[in-house]
Amino acid sequence: MPEPLSESAGAPAVVAARSGGAARHRDGLPALFMLGPNVLLFTVFVGVPIVGALALSFCRWNLVGSPIWVGLDNYKQMFNDPIVGIAVKNTLYFVAMGVLPTVIISLGLAMLINFRFRGVIIVRSLYLVPAAVSLAASAVIWQYIYEPKFGLLSWLFVQVGLTPPINGFLGTQSWALVCLDVVCIWTTLPIGILLYLAALQRIPESVIEAATLDGAGWFRRARYVIWPGVSNMTLLVAIISLIAFTASGFDLVNILTKGQPIYATETLIYYIYNEAVNDFQWGYAAALSVLQFVMIVGILGLLAAARRFLVRQP
Amino acid sequence: MRASRRTRTATRICFATAIGVVMAAPLLLLLAGSVESVAQVDAATPQFIPSSFHFDNFVQGWNQVLTARAFLNSVIFVVFAVGIQWALCISGGLAISKMRFRGRTVTTSLFAVSLFIPIVTTAIPTFVVTNEFHLIDTYPGLIIPIAAQTGFGTLLFRQYIVTMPQELFDAARIDGAGWWLLLRRLVVPLARPATAAYLAISIITAWNMYLWPLLAASSAHVEVLSEIVAAIGQGDNFGYSVTQPQLFAATVITVMPVVIAFLFLQPAFVRGLTGSGVE
Repeated sequence: MPEPLSESAGAPAVVAARSGGAARHRDGLPALFMLGPNVLLFTVFVGVPIVGALALSFCRWNLVGSPIWVGLDNYKQMFNDPIVGIAVKNTLYFVAMGVLPTVIISLGLAMLINFRFRGVIIVRSLYLVPAAVSLAASAVIWQYIYEPKFGLLSWLFVQVGLTPPINGFLGTQSWALVCLDVVCIWTTLPIGILLYLAALQRIPESVIEAATLDGAGWFRRARYVIWPGVSNMTLLVAIISLIAFTASGFDLVNILTKGQPIYATETLIYYIYNEAVNDFQWGYAAALSVLQFVMIVGILGLLAAARRFLVRQP
Repeated sequence: MRASRRTRTATRICFATAIGVVMAAPLLLLLAGSVESVAQVDAATPQFIPSSFHFDNFVQGWNQVLTARAFLNSVIFVVFAVGIQWALCISGGLAISKMRFRGRTVTTSLFAVSLFIPIVTTAIPTFVVTNEFHLIDTYPGLIIPIAAQTGFGTLLFRQYIVTMPQELFDAARIDGAGWWLLLRRLVVPLARPATAAYLAISIITAWNMYLWPLLAASSAHVEVLSEIVAAIGQGDNFGYSVTQPQLFAATVITVMPVVIAFLFLQPAFVRGLTGSGVE
């Protein structure tokens, strides 16, 4: 960067640095007005809750009166609480069994519909429309599909000669969590499809055709032409799915199963909600929120590591 | 060769359409159920195509399950939460992309970090803060904490405004235009595509939001539609006279506005997702 106005020939570097610094901060006051309201609200309702949860996790509190400092008691309780173990295991299982199929199936479906034909808009809309359906409304729909007596799934089971579970899909321990995953996969797939379609459409048709002419088969095209084009997008799809599945761990459980049967669908976020809202253990709930936070950061770390591994060029 | 290629394309179209119908089937089942009779909904063989139509389900669903109040509350929540957040995000986005001040990098990073923390994890502590302000079961308590989730929007606008030519801003500044004028006359009109992307995502998210309204607005006078739909899913039958198809019809009424909006806003929706700075 040129430094035209330095008067002192003796120490141009210093002057340059100082005037550069002044230029860098010259919009201080207007920036305060422009950004201030945003940062203020963000701090109060995003920053303070995160820091406050950490502080509250060392206290006992029933929401009225003042919190009582109890040191590490909540964390000790957490490690001795068998339900926490179950909830963590269920949450990890729910997220893994949700995110992986979402990423894989949405890539497959995006490749399937990534070509032009008459009516493509209508067909694509069929794939994308579940994204707009709320988890609450999805719960109403899938409740009906999972209905033990006349539900669609029971009917399909009977058609192919299987016996649907006696207590219904949501009432059977081995089925319940998977069934909730299916609901969330259904609402999350369209977002994966949309993102992968956007990435696929950036790969020029000519490149794929050239590869085909050079004799590259289906697998080689996917490996060396398509994957490099969409591998970056995979991280975004995974992150968005991760956030979707964390949220649905509350919505779907609270609406459809309440953690039943026998804690089979007890997710960490649902347990946190119950401890706070129904048992008034706000300190303990805060400690569990810290645990949930650490888990999400851990999973994101894993995703980032997986990305470094996957995005490496062949 | 040519014929076989045409056959392949036709097969692919049929296959793609078939899978698409499977994807949309649950929603189609809900739509069918909303106009069927009780007997059709409870039939042993699922009825995707109604044998007779009962549109009065919608009248009953609206009158006895949903309330005009809840519908209005949902609209108020979406309009104010998204409107306030938009104003905060576009001005904040301008500040962190074109203005020079101390702490700019730190602020930007904090917004970025917040993207990865789902609102569900912070919902309980946010409830505590909102409760300290005595705002639970009020419109401000429902709206402001959601409007304050500015991380995504601010970065979305930053990504867009950063690409606007610096000369434009410099020239306007030299002509004596203040930042406020620049925001109104330059940034807001030019960032219209970014605004569309932001609105597509935020409106759908807010309309469908469940946990926060459940925590912050559970009283009838501030209750929103997603809480009522959740109650349907929980098996609440809203009085003995309300039938299953009427409950479906009520659900359809809450779902259709966003479904239709989504189908029109798809391109903006994708721009919003991919422009979020992660890619």
